[in-house]
Amino acid sequence: MVSATKVEGEYSFLSKNSHLDQSEGVKTHLYHFGAEHGNDDLKSTACPEQGPSLLDTILLSQWDNFAWKGHLDYDVTACQLKVIEGGINFVGQLNNKWNSFSLKEYDKLFESFRCSKPNSMKSYEGLLLCVAQGENDRPEVAPSASPPKDGLLLIANAYPVEYGHIFLVPAAVNQLSCYWDKRMFGLATKIASEVNNAAFRVFFDSRTHVVSDHMFFQACYFPNPLPVESASTVVLYEYGGNARSDIIVSETVGYPLKAIVFTSNNLKALVNVVSEICFSLHDNTTAYSLLISNNGTKVFLFPQVKNLVTGCSLSTWECGGYFIYHTKFEFDNASETEISKRMASVSLQDSAFEDLKHLCCAIAHDLVK
Amino acid sequence: MANTCCLATCENLSVLNFHFPYALLSVSQRDNRSLSKSIRAVDYLEIGAPWSRPRLENRTRRTNRHVRAPGLANQSHSAGCGWVLITQRSALEQFRAAPERENTSQTEPPHKTNKKKRPRGKFRSHSPRFPRAQIFSPRSPSPSITRRRGDPRMASSGAEEADPGEREREEHGDLHHQRRLASSLTARYSDWVLEALDELPGSFLLTDPALAGHPIVYASRGLTALTGYARREVLGSGARVFQGAATDRAAVAGVREAVRAQRAHQVAILNYRRDGSPHWVLLHLAPVFHARDGSVLHFLAVQVPIDDAGRGAGAPCRGAQGAVLAACREEARVDDDFPCASYSGKVFVDMDKRGLEAEKPRVASDSEKEKAISTANSIVAALNRYSKLTGLVVSGKRCDSVGIPALSSSLNLSLGRIKQSFVLTHSCLPDMPIIYASDAFLSLTGYSREEILGCNCRVLNGPGTSLEVIEEACTVDLLSYRKDGSSFPDLLHVSPIRDASGKVAFHIWVHLDVGAKHDFNGLTPEVWQLGAVGAVRVAVRGLSASGSLLRPSQ
Repeated sequence: MVSATKVEGEYSFLSKNSHLDQSEGVKTHLYHFGAEHGNDDLKSTACPEQGPSLLDTILLSQWDNFAWKGHLDYDVTACQLKVIEGGINFVGQLNNKWNSFSLKEYDKLFESFRCSKPNSMKSYEGLLLCVAQGENDRPEVAPSASPPKDGLLLIANAYPVEYGHIFLVPAAVNQLSCYWDKRMFGLATKIASEVNNAAFRVFFDSRTHVVSDHMFFQACYFPNPLPVESASTVVLYEYGGNARSDIIVSETVGYPLKAIVFTSNNLKALVNVVSEICFSLHDNTTAYSLLISNNGTKVFLFPQVKNLVTGCSLSTWECGGYFIYHTKFEFDNASETEISKRMASVSLQDSAFEDLKHLCCAIAHDLVK
Repeated sequence: MANTCCLATCENLSVLNFHFPYALLSVSQRDNRSLSKSIRAVDYLEIGAPWSRPRLENRTRRTNRHVRAPGLANQSHSAGCGWVLITQRSALEQFRAAPERENTSQTEPPHKTNKKKRPRGKFRSHSPRFPRAQIFSPRSPSPSITRRRGDPRMASSGAEEADPGEREREEHGDLHHQRRLASSLTARYSDWVLEALDELPGSFLLTDPALAGHPIVYASRGLTALTGYARREVLGSGARVFQGAATDRAAVAGVREAVRAQRAHQVAILNYRRDGSPHWVLLHLAPVFHARDGSVLHFLAVQVPIDDAGRGAGAPCRGAQGAVLAACREEARVDDDFPCASYSGKVFVDMDKRGLEAEKPRVASDSEKEKAISTANSIVAALNRYSKLTGLVVSGKRCDSVGIPALSSSLNLSLGRIKQSFVLTHSCLPDMPIIYASDAFLSLTGYSREEILGCNCRVLNGPGTSLEVIEEACTVDLLSYRKDGSSFPDLLHVSPIRDASGKVAFHIWVHLDVGAKHDFNGLTPEVWQLGAVGAVRVAVRGLSASGSLLRPSQ
């Protein structure tokens, strides 16, 4: 059990944080990564005999408990799914209760949660789990503990896109970090690897997933492979020298939205390369989305242009090929051509994409050596 | 003359495997009344009082009442409890038509020559729903009953003269042989099945792996047109008659392997007609499974001729083929020495020496493949239509339990990973039968998978269980009972599970033995239980309403 300690000096939010300590404090299940997995290797394949991992079990269980208690706005598993005809097999969901504006509510929620305003009791219910680095070899769970400062909070999303939709929010915020926290990204990838469930994906969207300069992630369980994961790829750069720091950079072929795929079994290499690239993209004020899948070994980067004319942009799961329709009419008439057009309209221009590809390869080459 | 040979199944009486030409059933009084209502047309029925035993060895003395068929419904069964002896017409005919003879050495399994043996052997009904009916399968109907020529009863037509002793005659010669092979089919399905199969187009064979030499038991009319063999000629031989000098050994080995593995197989193979001329056919091999216990009843081989257009397309290179041929020839030679009949299925033995120059194999076009598959499907459908009358259900696929949809393999795979003790019940079928039980559940309750599938969850209830109506998702504390009667405090969580269409497909019942010591790596028992629910939800969410993976809608 880890208790939060006061850190004097640097962080201006301290006074509010100590307010948190003085109140009963938030107690939740605390999951510690095992130290043997604390290194860089990501588990690449799930062993079928072992069964669901501990983190997977506890996360699903907590989410189901949350759903069962009725805190969810609607039962997402009651929303109909269908595969849209066409080669790419986009998936559509009929859901008239979800809307993208619901994300804005959570912005406020996170703020208030960190400030532990007393009227934000709802967030405590939604707090499913806290994940932190542990010292022991094997992962372990403490049933009731205060979240440590460097932990990651898993908060249930009451407006889920799919089963198990959660937010990954840092427990305490390092004020010094800019919008992109490398350590957080590493933790998020680590979580994907620990869950060890092919259905679990983690998202990040550069436009919406930054709240008052702090980034957070979303994750959920998609039961079937996302269309982008099934798309064929072409390798751009492959570093095979040192087996431990292998990273493969490839681009998708035949997918309406141009995307770059980073594949690696090495957590550090992946985090470094992707972080660098995201910094550059931010400098260029290019919007992008990240999709971490395949148990944390694959990261899809979807660069997007800000379409000033239509103002439409795609959320990360839409980039991945999973679309939500609000009305039955839209759902029934969903067609692959219309989706492809939408994707193409936010996709980068060819020249810009070429530049980006070169940049990725260069960064990968520099960092991996 | 009653031509039909069918045995209806009534509620608490089921004949699972009519391999033997007759079956002896013991029914209780209550069953007997409903029995009479449901059996409409039976070839021969004999009902006796419980204290008596069917005296199969001495039919002349009719101590028991026997009833003729058809028109059973108006017979009274004041015998009440007792036994019912039901036979099939075809079996009767076999014996009736055979000339009088002594015991011969030619026997088939149900007709042993030992006259002393009494019918013995109890087979409990497989399905847990029918505990009462017990099927006695006599091992040895006594053959000492000789048919008395000139017996007036013999001369009269109808089922009446069928002294059951007649069946026990041995047949001889071709007639016997043919009838024995035909009985392989008609013992399981009704007599009509032969005629129904005769009507189907195409050239196909049915073989019986249970008989020695894996012989052909049925050949279709189209076979004669295709191969030039008369149907009579191929019955009883193995499928090797169609092979010849230039038949590709690798293809043959592939077929043999598929037979061994009891799976479907399709291959283009060079066959020879009766006059020796070779022709290419697409051979489609499919097993026919007993739907209830998954055993293989027959193999179905469909031959679709491949026309010249397919010649040479996609042939493997000659070098590889040569090597394969050489390797397979070794295998073939081994089989020459040890013709294993019991399980090797079709044994293709090549007597001639053959050179390495074989024809390039042809590739069947899609239309030919489809034709083969559709023929196979129609054959299985025909078998099913006529087998339902005998209570036997066959299918082209191995099924877990009859009437219960088999789960898709991907779902089975995902569910198999989950370590908690749970069952899934089907929400739409009547009485919500269990369609999946995890290994942990089986070890917790002591049931085997075959026993529990198809039952309702109340099978775990016992005297101490407080019955609560479980309607929606909830967690209850129950006292549940294992198969051996011991009870355990059960923390049961029930929840509906929806599939991709958004409708409830199953209910999950997760059990937890609160009394036993568990170590869940720091998780509380409730958390451990719900973890199973979540995992199943994710697994089922990706499935369409039919239970398979989500596909583009048509």
